[in-house]
Amino acid sequence: MAIFVDKHTNVLVQGITGKFGALQTELMLNCGTKIVAGVTPGKGGQTQFNIPVYDSVQEAVNKHRVDASVIYVPAPFVQEAAFEAMDAEIKFMVIITDWVPLHSEMKIKAYSKCRDTRYIGPNTPGIMVPGQTNLGMISPSAVRPGVVAVVSRSGTLTDEVSAHLSEQGIGQSVVIGLGGDPIIGSRMIDILKLLKKDEQTKGIVIVGEIGGTMEEEAAEYIKAEFDKPVIAFVAGRTAPRGKVMGHAGAIIMGERGTAESKINALELAGVTIAKSLWEIPLLAKKVV
Amino acid sequence: MRLYEYEGKGIFKKGGIPVPWGSVVESAEEARRVASEIGKEVAIKAQILTGRRGKAGGIQFAKIPDEAANVAQGIFGMELEGYKVNSLLIEEKLDITNELYMGITIDAENGVPVAMVSAEGGMEIEEVAKRNPEKIVSMLVNPLYGMRTYEAINLVRQIGLEGRALTSASRILSQLYNVFVANDARITEINPLVRTNEGKMFAADSRCEIDDNSLFKHPGLKDLRIQRIGNPWERKGVEGGVNYVDMEGNIAVMANGAGLTMSLLDMIKTDGGSPVCFLDTGGGLSEERMRNAVSLLLKKTKTDQCIKVILVMVRMMISPPDAVAQGILEAIEEVKVKTPVVVVMRGRAPYEKRARELLGNSAVSLCSSVEEGIGKAIEIAKA
Repeated sequence: MAIFVDKHTNVLVQGITGKFGALQTELMLNCGTKIVAGVTPGKGGQTQFNIPVYDSVQEAVNKHRVDASVIYVPAPFVQEAAFEAMDAEIKFMVIITDWVPLHSEMKIKAYSKCRDTRYIGPNTPGIMVPGQTNLGMISPSAVRPGVVAVVSRSGTLTDEVSAHLSEQGIGQSVVIGLGGDPIIGSRMIDILKLLKKDEQTKGIVIVGEIGGTMEEEAAEYIKAEFDKPVIAFVAGRTAPRGKVMGHAGAIIMGERGTAESKINALELAGVTIAKSLWEIPLLAKKVV
Repeated sequence: MRLYEYEGKGIFKKGGIPVPWGSVVESAEEARRVASEIGKEVAIKAQILTGRRGKAGGIQFAKIPDEAANVAQGIFGMELEGYKVNSLLIEEKLDITNELYMGITIDAENGVPVAMVSAEGGMEIEEVAKRNPEKIVSMLVNPLYGMRTYEAINLVRQIGLEGRALTSASRILSQLYNVFVANDARITEINPLVRTNEGKMFAADSRCEIDDNSLFKHPGLKDLRIQRIGNPWERKGVEGGVNYVDMEGNIAVMANGAGLTMSLLDMIKTDGGSPVCFLDTGGGLSEERMRNAVSLLLKKTKTDQCIKVILVMVRMMISPPDAVAQGILEAIEEVKVKTPVVVVMRGRAPYEKRARELLGNSAVSLCSSVEEGIGKAIEIAKA
């Protein structure tokens, strides 16, 4: 196992009969993902691509060993879906849905600590271990098995960065989208702590963007105790300054959050900064 | 979505937080009427969605109704920080002994609400944060349990309040937290929270921002949010489900996903190009959203002669290639302009192949890599 998942991971899909969930399930099956069950309340007893559908997560885990759940339910129902998975003792979740209310995100995060559950998202393209499993929507043609971990805050940019690596012959140990929202289950630093111990991963590509303080936080950790080579690409260097988050926001953020702040912090931690997408594989080749 | 001061005070009042007596007006005549109802000296405050209006003359006082009407007339003509003043809040003027600060927002690093209070409220709270951070005390709140009464008291005690001031201020802090939750806010803030000569406390100003992802629970606000977007292109964008932002240059940029769009802007700048605007459609695309997005940019080029080229990049992870390609072609068919369109289509291998078939013989110039697309757009822009 690289981190979180591998080819043996048994996957549940919450929202499997929805338009989006069904399309995604088919694409995941094509990547070899072991989907053992699906949940849509009211559709228990049906099947989707020969996968049994249940009314509740508890029912599904009573019948199957479930290691991870991928959540595709619409935003207003995500909080309930995540709590349901956690209460059924599922220990890893991928919350794909975007536009999830912030107050729901706070509650999911707080409850995950009580239930000892790890998750990525919301608003994530998911996690893919090339050649093994795909929990989400990362394109199989963008990846190939290898030793570089891609850790990204973005969706389509994650796919594009992986494709740039793969096209230059650099494979990935894992490609992971953390989620584009302010409150996400696993922050960059959480993933780096896992990758430090992962033997397959020899180097890391971080894809950051402006806003928040995740890159600064990760930089401090890298400087202090991370010994694998790291390359970073930070999107938004030239973006016009966005809306100021008001006094309360400014007091918390201080001077952090800008592209300069992130790039400076990462450079100080010994991270190599890529200025373009096509520079990423060139830099990666030098270190792995 | 940011609320006006009077709207914030409306939800404060509903939550039990004392606010000064007053109401919002849209003409000098109404200002006179409200001032005479209040029957004492009034504060006249411009309602605009920015801070720092005080220094710019957006807050003034009047002793009698005639004066209130005159002052109101003056403020209605003003433009403050780029905002035209359309409404004023007329309020009783309070006899203030001191000004406190109180705010609830989200601490993204910890993923929980954070409550902050300070004995040094007023306009300069950000300065206090920089110079004397110890004068602002804060605590994290567990979102599953909410703010406990004793937690509020313990926090407020740390800024030196005691007796009745302590109990009033901590009650207001709890209420502010409840308002924060009930309205799905990102921020609820009182600056200043004033104490009057009689020892009463009032929220003299309000700063509230509602989480845009929660507006489905507040349908009235959702419509208002769109109406209030000043830039007409930005507004059209939001109506069509996309984010549009104006810049200064000659290359219009569009991509699906914020990270991808921002990285294109960066790379164009690095290579000597100059983006004039950008449009982020979000990751997953339907034919309709694609058509809306491209036609918005094409219409923009009709009104803005500076735009030399449009660069469109789509990364098809789940967006079906037929929808994406049709959306582009339909928009070009609909809005007849000669501006060249450079398209980069990438994604799942079968999707890429299909998109190339559909766009290969069309009017767009199709590129197979990001580097090629950026190079071509810059070349056209410089020609």
